[in-house]
Amino acid sequence: MSSYSELIKNYEKIRAYMREFYVYGFKSRDEYDKKSSRSYDDERRRIESWLGNYMRFVRTPDGKNVFLSIDSRAEKHNPLYKSWKAKSFTDGDITLHFILFDILHTPGIKKTAGELMTEIDNNYLSAFEKPMMFDESTLRKKLKEYCNEGIIISEKQGKNVYYSRAESTDLSSAVDALDYFSEAAPCGVIGSFLLDKVENHDSPFSFKHHYITGTMDSDVLAMLFCAIHSKRKIFAVNIGKHNRAPQNIEVVPLKIYISVQNGRQNLIAFSLKSKHIYSYRLDYLSDIVIGEVYDKYDDLQKTFAQLEKHMWGVNCNFNTRKLEHVEFTVFVRDDEQYIVERLEREKRCGTVEKTDETHYRFYADVFDTSEVIPWIRTFICRITKLNFSDRLIEEQFKNDIRDMYALYGLDGGDEK
Amino acid sequence: MIFSELYSAYYNAVSHILDAAVKENATEQSVREKVVESAFSESALTIISSLKNEKWQLLKKDFTTPLKHTPTMPLTNLQKQWLKAILSDPRIRLFDMSIPGLDDVEPLFTPDDYKLYDKYSNGDPFESEIYIKKFRLILNAIKTKRPIVIVFTSRNGRQNRLSLISERLEYSEKDDKFRLIAAGCRFGQFNLAKIESCDYCNVNKKLSPIPRSDEICTVSFELENERNALERAMLHFAHLEKQAERIDKNKYRITLKYYQSDETEILIRILSFGPFIKVTEPEAFVQLIKERLQSQKNCGLL
Repeated sequence: MSSYSELIKNYEKIRAYMREFYVYGFKSRDEYDKKSSRSYDDERRRIESWLGNYMRFVRTPDGKNVFLSIDSRAEKHNPLYKSWKAKSFTDGDITLHFILFDILHTPGIKKTAGELMTEIDNNYLSAFEKPMMFDESTLRKKLKEYCNEGIIISEKQGKNVYYSRAESTDLSSAVDALDYFSEAAPCGVIGSFLLDKVENHDSPFSFKHHYITGTMDSDVLAMLFCAIHSKRKIFAVNIGKHNRAPQNIEVVPLKIYISVQNGRQNLIAFSLKSKHIYSYRLDYLSDIVIGEVYDKYDDLQKTFAQLEKHMWGVNCNFNTRKLEHVEFTVFVRDDEQYIVERLEREKRCGTVEKTDETHYRFYADVFDTSEVIPWIRTFICRITKLNFSDRLIEEQFKNDIRDMYALYGLDGGDEK
Repeated sequence: MIFSELYSAYYNAVSHILDAAVKENATEQSVREKVVESAFSESALTIISSLKNEKWQLLKKDFTTPLKHTPTMPLTNLQKQWLKAILSDPRIRLFDMSIPGLDDVEPLFTPDDYKLYDKYSNGDPFESEIYIKKFRLILNAIKTKRPIVIVFTSRNGRQNRLSLISERLEYSEKDDKFRLIAAGCRFGQFNLAKIESCDYCNVNKKLSPIPRSDEICTVSFELENERNALERAMLHFAHLEKQAERIDKNKYRITLKYYQSDETEILIRILSFGPFIKVTEPEAFVQLIKERLQSQKNCGLL
């Protein structure tokens, strides 16, 4: 039986737990993995070790609930990044790492694997009572891994391969930019890795409306960017929206859609099976494998650019004949110009028109009316007219408002 | 791709420990402190024992090391690709910086590869020279703690001139705007784009370095999990401190903490969930909802 460690080999193992603890936080121990309560205990202990300051507990009739409670506005750096800094390694990995870079301490030093091996044994490990034994193949494997990471350079001279360290990069002028972009750019965790390399300091930035839920999907996002950039298809496992069953998919990634109002990240991609463009939630994707270049990639991007004009959220439909008309009118008093400003700045693909001295009309043709509904509800108190081409949704909207009146004891329909 | 021990808290902690050992000033106490600074709450046990027991052959029992140089590691390809990506973001011009050695590096992403589809369209003018100049001056004032004087026009059209201490710059991704959070004056925050001019100043009066506090309020509501409302609400309010509890098979009680100055925003965001959220506390918040609904009744929609 292996003993507990706060480090993990595979991030996928912790991804779902992190999400449950941070986003939901109302499940008791029994509701997690019924097959293995030990797994739950280990993952909870790990997350507590990384993020103990944010861990909260509450006792309910169902048992003790554990959750993460973070006011992201009060934090200058995303605490969830810590989970990406918990990768396990072997005793040999860490020992070799620091010795290698001590030998190759400037880019001008070039050594063969044999020379490195001799130096490791004679000048470093011999200082210890029971020196570790590395064989040359272990060293070569590590050197190859580091060449792939770009931190070691290999160079062939005659029959010999010489290894040296890559040039260092001066980050001293970039610290402010790292503080900002590590929170405000995609894959910000990489910025956090860079900040670990500079002196401790107090960041001059804080962040409002700062969604950090996507942190756990950083690796998926980075893989998708690589695929988009190289115009390649991918294979992945996707959790089905309805049946929640994992499905293998083969798609061509086109663009990442990120919400700054709920933190969701979606991949817009062309399904090679159904020949349609769909959106896939990043938190439902895993096991990404980048495949070959898709030769009609640029054509797909052109098609998608046309669809984007009618997307309110992330839903798109390959058949533009299925556009739905959404229209509503609001009442705006003279001293409420901020409402007009709201309509203008939040209208996305829609249009706003003044219809008379006190009324403004919004209209748009979109793929999915239901995506616009929550936004229209934010104007409750001033909606005077609705006109949806989907009459069922229009009626549902009105019924919802009736239900809201009833919920707060204001039954009896409109009073005008 | 991202999950690698090269970026791990343990490697960072050991790097700091070895740095001290190379400089011949590592002690058990300083080693412990460096682990606490760089790693996790249970890390000290593993890291210190692994070094002391020579499982990791880097530090000897007397806290000296056979290493001769301060540990450093070049940037990985991934780190360089991310840096190259942020260099193509228009907001990079706000920063007076240069990163040499990235000419041959492919960016991890470009602005064309992703879209923040629900960002407000009236964001700050990040590429305006005047805006950049203001941003850089305020950023420097925050770091050097120098007081500044700003000129801005208030909502009633009056021009104001205020001396203040810049605390930090707060960025909202939704608004795509920076706000200056200030201390030492009667206002707590200013939209950076609305500051007409600013400069360093010498003030005669003593400015209080304590920023104005924004009262933290609580709102509780019951949520009926229809049309996926639970997941939508938990994601939508994920950025706030919150607590959720199941109170019935399909019903949840959720409590959120928010800043008083954001009350109207929280109110309309709750309204966006329609009849699936019923605010229960505090009564004053319930009244705000009722007022909106009462006004809606007067609109003659139904």
